[in-house]
Amino acid sequence: MKTTRSTNRRNFLLAAGLGGAGVAGALVAGGRKSAAKAGLADAASQPSGYHASEHILKYYKTAKV
Amino acid sequence: MSAVATPVAMRRAAAPEDSARADFYALLARLCADAPDRALLAALSAAAPLPADGDPALGEAWRNLVDASSVMDPDAAREEYEALFCGMGKAAVSIYSGFYSGAPSIDHPRVRLQADLASFGLARRGEITEPEDHFAGLFEVMRVLAAGGAGREPAALADQKRFFHSHLDASARKFFAALGTSPKANYYRNVAALGVAVVALESTSFQLD
Repeated sequence: MKTTRSTNRRNFLLAAGLGGAGVAGALVAGGRKSAAKAGLADAASQPSGYHASEHILKYYKTAKV
Repeated sequence: MSAVATPVAMRRAAAPEDSARADFYALLARLCADAPDRALLAALSAAAPLPADGDPALGEAWRNLVDASSVMDPDAAREEYEALFCGMGKAAVSIYSGFYSGAPSIDHPRVRLQADLASFGLARRGEITEPEDHFAGLFEVMRVLAAGGAGREPAALADQKRFFHSHLDASARKFFAALGTSPKANYYRNVAALGVAVVALESTSFQLD
């Protein structure tokens, strides 16, 4: 009975305290940088070959006359 | 004049409990990726407690992390992070899952991890030098699988469960146990306790489906 089990799982998580909007706000604020720090990305969005990295863009900016 | 129907891509919103799971994973990923900075410590110290009738271990771990964040100095947090996970030579606590999963010379877990990430259309960003089995990356994968993001739907529960059991469950438990008992851990003992509680909840919840 897939539906019953799914409901059980959902109820279990909600009963555990997950789902509170107030907590989520603080957590999101804390975790906002995680994607950038952890370095995860869609494989499809990976640039191939040469691309301007943050380091390169910073160099360009400092090299301006 | 004839109306032309334009297909609109609708993204299914994650359920509240899955959004909360994703938020916890995001926080664990962030705290594994780097020491908490002043902004994160401030956000955590201002966070509301979890419901009193929720999971006791999660509630206590969350409360302790919030309390610790309110008195933690960002510079001290950075020193602690570096003493735990960086250091010269062998780190006090390894932050790579391969360390805890045995990592045999053939069928290395990182190879299986790369294949599993590819099956989800995910990969390490090009400029990142850390291997895929860094816990920050693993928690970040779970965040994306649980709640989706950037145009991506949440993954099927069976896929979340498979990834969790294959790459996180056992190794994360060992990692947080090592972190929680390390003599160099202070603030991060609270992070370890939160991690233990989150992983335990996840493990139990996946058994219900």
